[in-house]
Amino acid sequence: METYLGIDVGSVTTKLAVLDGNDELVTYIYLPTQGKPIEMVQQCLKQIKPQLPEDVNIRGVATTGSARYLAGVIVGADLVKNEITSHAVATLQYVPQVQTIIEIGGQDSKIIIVRDGVVTDFGMNTVCAAGTGSFLDHQALRLNMSIEEFARRALDSNTPVRIAGRCTVFAESDMVHKQQMGHRIEDIIYGLCQALVRNYLNNVGLGKEIKPPIVFQGGVAFNQGIVKALQEELGTEVIVLPHHEVMGAIGAALLVHEGMAGSNNGSQFKGFGVSEVKYHTSSFECKACPNHCEIAQLSVGGQALARWGGRCDLWEGSPTS
Amino acid sequence: MRVGIPHMGNVYVAIKAMSNRFGGELIVPPVNNQRALSLGVRYSPEGLCIPFKLTLGNLIEAAEMGADVLLTIGGFGICRLGYYTKIQEQILHDLGYNVRMIQLNVSEKKLPGFLQVFKQLSNGASWPTIISAFRFGLTKLNAMDRIERVVQKVRAVEQIKGTANGLFARAIKAIDNADDYDSLKKIQIDYIEQLTQVPKDNQAQPLLVGITGEFYVVLEPFSNLDVESELGKLGVEVRRRTFISEWTKFSLFLNPLGIDETARIHKAAFPYLKRDVGGDGWESVGEKVLHAKEYDGLIHLAPFTCMPEIVAQNIMPSTKESIPVLTILCDEQLAKPGMLTRLEAFVDLLERKRRASNNKR
Repeated sequence: METYLGIDVGSVTTKLAVLDGNDELVTYIYLPTQGKPIEMVQQCLKQIKPQLPEDVNIRGVATTGSARYLAGVIVGADLVKNEITSHAVATLQYVPQVQTIIEIGGQDSKIIIVRDGVVTDFGMNTVCAAGTGSFLDHQALRLNMSIEEFARRALDSNTPVRIAGRCTVFAESDMVHKQQMGHRIEDIIYGLCQALVRNYLNNVGLGKEIKPPIVFQGGVAFNQGIVKALQEELGTEVIVLPHHEVMGAIGAALLVHEGMAGSNNGSQFKGFGVSEVKYHTSSFECKACPNHCEIAQLSVGGQALARWGGRCDLWEGSPTS
Repeated sequence: MRVGIPHMGNVYVAIKAMSNRFGGELIVPPVNNQRALSLGVRYSPEGLCIPFKLTLGNLIEAAEMGADVLLTIGGFGICRLGYYTKIQEQILHDLGYNVRMIQLNVSEKKLPGFLQVFKQLSNGASWPTIISAFRFGLTKLNAMDRIERVVQKVRAVEQIKGTANGLFARAIKAIDNADDYDSLKKIQIDYIEQLTQVPKDNQAQPLLVGITGEFYVVLEPFSNLDVESELGKLGVEVRRRTFISEWTKFSLFLNPLGIDETARIHKAAFPYLKRDVGGDGWESVGEKVLHAKEYDGLIHLAPFTCMPEIVAQNIMPSTKESIPVLTILCDEQLAKPGMLTRLEAFVDLLERKRRASNNKR
């Protein structure tokens, strides 16, 4: 069976998606990254292998997400693509007439504007990560409930309270204050959802023409409270696709399929065996100039595979020493 | 009198040339680096822009090296720049550096004022010496900028990425060491020739991306994380209006004669913004309108908290001349991975847009 593998390693979760030759989703996996991107990629590969048919033939691999370069070196990616393009491509596959894509992940949020099937503009949170998944996780933890329960309780709100949503630190103080004043927890949670949506639209969505159909994806799209608040604020329906949390990985797989179709080269995929390899990461300070950049190094058995992190190109590319 | 200067791109090369000619004692602090940035951030009010913080870092490093006079840039425009010399002086005095500030006024845009400043910095050099020194400095600026324009083209199509940058660095060094007009001319011709010889991908049809925004962050690669080189690596040709040699040419020589290159840009911006909003905000809007047909996309560089560029950023989406714009806010928090993600996505967007419009034809 001819398949294409997309790997999306985000700040909070790691996603794998396998598509067949007709771009149909064969299977996918979604696990927390837990700050260990290498181990999680290995773990995901190990877990997805038994879900694939015996005769699986990986024809192309692409990585995306904030750890895309690292993941690309580990698995032997044929394509390393940024998450904005990956998300847009995946959404267009399922909703070809989409005009606006809202994506809120663990630590970033984006808006992608599409017209006539082509991305015309995008925005990504720049100087502030307020209102992304990590903050919601943190608040659920603080209220001693699971993120699922947190989302569900938001829907039971009758009179949501107004929470200051511009800065998460102040949002948290505001929530504590409202709790101490005796407001219902449901109203506070939904108030927070509204605040985060307002913050998203005023920052990431600033100056963007948000037209329907609107597709909402990323991990935060699991949160019914946020979905409801978005629909209320935008005054229109918001589509949440069945596999919205793995759209980045699906997009990467679609892109590598497209890319490999035009070339005769085989995939550089190192195989599922990489889940057994022991990778070693280390870092050092480069002393070549006064900048003293921190260079991160990935190695196997004492052999350096890749280096990152300099302001200049000194350590870029494949190491020579 | 030991004169310290702040950095902006390669300007130090020109000032050094002038100073050598009029016999001044110049202290050039290390080019922008992490330490200068950390010092600047540590002693600056948080809400000030990255140009302030970086130049403050340079001035502190110059003072550490024994400078007792510091040359700064000032003006009386609408942005906060007008206060910067005074604030930096206060901070340096509070830190215990006994330094005197001499300010080049860039709002006045007058040659005699500039020359007067350099006269003050010389050890009593004669007017003819000052004028000839100034001319030599400008010639170095011109040479560097002419080479850089070629570099912007070569970066996009060179087969081995980084070749053009390497040549450019060597050219700057050679220009810095050049002592007379003849060798300057030779260096310029020689390096432009070498750049033309760089092995290139002849099949490539590079995208053309304009760079606009605030003067300092456009010209100081350290502050914009070398956005032009990164675009070059992605196979994009970069074009910009902002060059110091252009600025001096117009501000000091042609504007007094009534020739104003910004008039055209302001006219283009006029339907959307009718007045100067300080800094380069008006020009940013105008450049988008003016080049919407010529460029595939525009990168708008703005210092975080820069009022003029925030005004421009908010007006840009509403112009009917539509061209994709990516605004990058530059400050000490700007990190390379985040910037690269946006640049890659932006280039993908432009590429796919071009493909779609080619298919339509």
